[in-house]
Amino acid sequence: MQDKTAFVLIVKKNEGLIYKITRVYTDTQEDQKDLYQEIVYQLWKSFDSFKGNSKISTWIYRIALNTAIGYLNKSKKKVSQVSLDFELLNPADESDTVTEERLAILYNMIKQLNIIEKGLILLLLEGKSYDEIAVITGFSSSNVGTRLSRIKKKLKENIKNI
Amino acid sequence: MKTLWQEMSERIEKQKQLTDTLIMDMTQQKYTQKFNKITTYESIGAVICFIAAILILSNFEKLDTWYMTACGIFTVGYLLTLPILVLRSLKTIRGINISTASYKESIIGFAKAKNQLLLIQKLGIYVNFILFLAIIPVSSKLMGDKDIFMLGGSVWKYGFIAIIAIVMIFVSRWGYRCYKNITNSAENILKELED
Repeated sequence: MQDKTAFVLIVKKNEGLIYKITRVYTDTQEDQKDLYQEIVYQLWKSFDSFKGNSKISTWIYRIALNTAIGYLNKSKKKVSQVSLDFELLNPADESDTVTEERLAILYNMIKQLNIIEKGLILLLLEGKSYDEIAVITGFSSSNVGTRLSRIKKKLKENIKNI
Repeated sequence: MKTLWQEMSERIEKQKQLTDTLIMDMTQQKYTQKFNKITTYESIGAVICFIAAILILSNFEKLDTWYMTACGIFTVGYLLTLPILVLRSLKTIRGINISTASYKESIIGFAKAKNQLLLIQKLGIYVNFILFLAIIPVSSKLMGDKDIFMLGGSVWKYGFIAIIAIVMIFVSRWGYRCYKNITNSAENILKELED
């Protein structure tokens, strides 16, 4: 019971983070909801093994990103399944079409990146330091830096082409 | 980009959509779906192959000539080996521990397992042709006790075999192209990780 209460609190506190990851790795709202559910399930499954050796956010990022990679590998032959009906968070006010458009462009640009780049840029945008990104992704800090500067260059070129 | 991302993060932090019940329902529903997924296409296919192999083995004495025995051995070998290899690759994919593996390790794990699976499926495309040639005499001998090699050929029989062979060539060529594209993208990711 203690575990269940703690788990629910952690998910509630991090629902925005899960939303952002699911949006980057899926193309439709249906897939986004399904991946959201899958991440919550994987977090629940691994919750007992979380020893607190790392920060809770590091643990969540790791599981959520790994689940997203697995989801990309499975989604093409997904068996038909019904996801729970729930409302996804709304990143822009309905009246604020400019922000909505800018966000759509931003997400599209990230979606065009390959799977390695997607994870790295997402963590950078989340305000993680190179060292934290290194812990979550398994790359060395210097490698994270090199890769990120390449990604930034690529994104700049993509922006120019819009 | 960072400013826009931060703005969005702040906005969604203020919203709360999930309730306690919904969160626990999510875990419960996915748990049930995991059990349902045991009946995947691969598992059903493997069971069908194993049953067919057992049927051939239990009637193996009916394959009384050397060429029938050769066809029988090949068919049984195929029906037992290929599904085991496919299921083993799928087990590797499921075996990736997402709670302890880093992002890099997961990508490598999935890409390697995918390559392995695609290699088996690619191999399957070619071996299917031989299976097609071997399974016809075996099944006609076991089901109708007829030696297809000794029977005179009718236009219908050869026409049927030719049509099936042509369909198989087209399906295989299409399948091979699809597999090639997916394998290339998995290999590119692995190459990029070596940088």
